Amino acid sequence: MVASLAKRFGDLDIAEEATAEAFATAVERWPADGIPPNPGGWLTTTATRKAIDRIRREKKRDDKYREALLVMDHEPLEPLGAIDDERLRLLFTCCHPALALDSRVALTLRMVGGLTVPEIARAFLVQEGAMARRITRAKDKIRDAGIPFRMPSAGDLPVRVDGVLNVLFLVFNEGYLATGPDTDPVRAELTAEAIRLTRLIRSLLPRDGEVTGMLALMLLTEARRAARLSSSGELVTLDDQDRGAWDAALIREGHELVRERLNSGEPAGRYQVLAAINAVHTSARDIRDTDWSQVVALYDQLVALDPSPIVALNRAVAVAELDGPEVALAAVDRLEAALDGYHAYHATRADLLRRLGRSAESRAAYDRAIDLAGNTAEAAYLTRRRDQLG
Amino acid sequence: MQYLMSVFGPAEMSEFGSYPDRESMVQALADTGAFNEKLQAEGHWVYANGLASATSSTVVDGRVDPPVVTDGPYLESKEYLGGFWIIEATDLDQALDLAAQGSKACRGKVEVRPFQPLSE
Repeated sequence: MVASLAKRFGDLDIAEEATAEAFATAVERWPADGIPPNPGGWLTTTATRKAIDRIRREKKRDDKYREALLVMDHEPLEPLGAIDDERLRLLFTCCHPALALDSRVALTLRMVGGLTVPEIARAFLVQEGAMARRITRAKDKIRDAGIPFRMPSAGDLPVRVDGVLNVLFLVFNEGYLATGPDTDPVRAELTAEAIRLTRLIRSLLPRDGEVTGMLALMLLTEARRAARLSSSGELVTLDDQDRGAWDAALIREGHELVRERLNSGEPAGRYQVLAAINAVHTSARDIRDTDWSQVVALYDQLVALDPSPIVALNRAVAVAELDGPEVALAAVDRLEAALDGYHAYHATRADLLRRLGRSAESRAAYDRAIDLAGNTAEAAYLTRRRDQLG
Repeated sequence: MQYLMSVFGPAEMSEFGSYPDRESMVQALADTGAFNEKLQAEGHWVYANGLASATSSTVVDGRVDPPVVTDGPYLESKEYLGGFWIIEATDLDQALDLAAQGSKACRGKVEVRPFQPLSE
């Protein structure tokens, strides 16, 4: 009976105690009430009820604890230690798939990142009151729906870690290339926060390949941040960046992480492949020195993992360097139906058409890209390129 | 905690309910039956049942005297509640895991919604 209860409740203590309680109840009741028709079944049922009662009592304690954490104000970060275990559980709770994606992002920045509500509201161009309500609603759902405050089960862990990485990547990307026209085009506070939280999750799950891949990807991207904006506030593309302005320490760390994953011999997930692509870029002294066949081979690997049109678009950019703009343009044109509303699709086409000397078509594509681009630095770059067309 | 797991189906039903043919209806009912037995065996079961067609419902407003009785359903929709489970689960993760199994068995999307906690 103990074994079956333990299997069912996943807790040996609860199983033992509940069984003992059931026998004690039997000793008390059976002499007075008579032995039930199915004594074994009676004992099992009673023990099960006792176990559920016990779990409920414990759960309530956990709930109180979780609520206390959810309402606490931000404390300065503690050094690595016991607190991080709680922080990780909190991160999984904040990134639970039962919450809306924008709530996950806001809640993670508030509860785990410690940003204030006004800071988060500014980051996502939402009124403070609306952001406060979004966060409150998410906290209410955690409480009312019983979203657990604990590590996901082993079976759920890969999916849940992926969910956390997805949220952190969103935060990072919003910092690296802001989507809206009303904030700074590049926002170091968001990229720094995303990297800090990814470091935290890596310190707790050091053997997770995708966590390591994500950290490497962020570091190798962050390393180029200072070179991405010109003094006039225009976006600088990879080929025009001053590679001397890249952060050598971040690149070194990112390369080490990529090597660590390559040496593991385990199959790479999408973040690891993206990190490897960025490792190739950051290994080259200049754009002509880039190993484009390696980049295209990695994109082929990425397409197999993630056959999305955006990945296909990025692959085409690399193909242009390896096989020329004509081959790349044919690949890009096949994506029209899926990506017609995406500024990067038109910006890529514009550049390929320019290189092929098809100026009028290039100009039209730049116009579409400028219309669709929300980021001011990117729009400024695209406008200058369009105006340079002969 | 207790959770309501609702299954919604189209307003218009064929003779095979919301299923394309007899074979898939029979298989879904068998799978759902097996899932229900599992819920009972593992102590999650509180109650479950399927509903008759939404067109058979009647709305009563007893706030007025005499009560007003009208033909249902209460809300017009393309999809109606077709059946539900009430389950006991330790937390949402366990409820979602059970809902995934129930959804697979009955071939429908399942909405998981907690009941208000019992007052202490």
